[in-house]
Amino acid sequence: MIIYVLIYLIIIGAAVLAVISKKLINSAIMLAVLSIGVSLLFFSYEAPWAGVFELSVCAGLITVIFISAVSLVKQDDEEFKEDRTKYKIFPLILMAFIIISSIFVPDYFMKLSGFAVYVNNSNESIGKFIWLYRGIDIIGQITILSASVFVIKHIFFRKSDTLEEK
Amino acid sequence: MSMTINYPLDWFFISVLFFIGAYCMIVSRNIIRLLIGFEIISKSAMIAIIASGQHTNAINLAQSLIIIMILVEVVVIATGLALIVKFHNKYQTIDIKKLMNLKG
Repeated sequence: MIIYVLIYLIIIGAAVLAVISKKLINSAIMLAVLSIGVSLLFFSYEAPWAGVFELSVCAGLITVIFISAVSLVKQDDEEFKEDRTKYKIFPLILMAFIIISSIFVPDYFMKLSGFAVYVNNSNESIGKFIWLYRGIDIIGQITILSASVFVIKHIFFRKSDTLEEK
Repeated sequence: MSMTINYPLDWFFISVLFFIGAYCMIVSRNIIRLLIGFEIISKSAMIAIIASGQHTNAINLAQSLIIIMILVEVVVIATGLALIVKFHNKYQTIDIKKLMNLKG
């Protein structure tokens, strides 16, 4: 139980540093640390495939995309005079939410553990889940990926490509 | 179940992480920081799915959901950052308040 709390503290600390750091590049790096913490949590929850995807995609690819975008966008953070004083009430809302949910929610969690009877098929392999039970989602994934490729192609569309052909 | 999982503890940290991301999305005027807050919120949702999958002993179903979710997240982040870079090339700012000038 100690190791979970340690991993969670790493995650929370990285999230707080990502929010409060002045430079955007530090925020991107702290986001990578947060992803590494989440993947460690997945590994300790006996979910290795999700951990591998998280570590390779979220900690690798998204960090590279973020850092390249931050370096392309010339940052001038002094421009943003953010008035954060009126949001000081936000942690109080968080505390109230946690206290109220700790009163009402554990009953729901006890009911949730009853669902384990109905979905107790964890002996089946992950490949069977992906290809057999959720195989139709592969079509949705391919559609989403191709849509994003077309969108990015049209965002960075250059007129000179077609004008020279004419 | 091989280990004792305390789901209310998970719930506590998940809600803290969600509120950190929501705070980042509400407060900041920089558009890239909005995407960072979105990323933190989606991480909290992923942890919730995996922890509840472990709790109900259906971890493989949760893993197959997480893989799909990671792909959708990457697509959203890549498209959003491409739009931000294009917007910055045209208007030389990434302030969310300046987007109000685009209404027509």
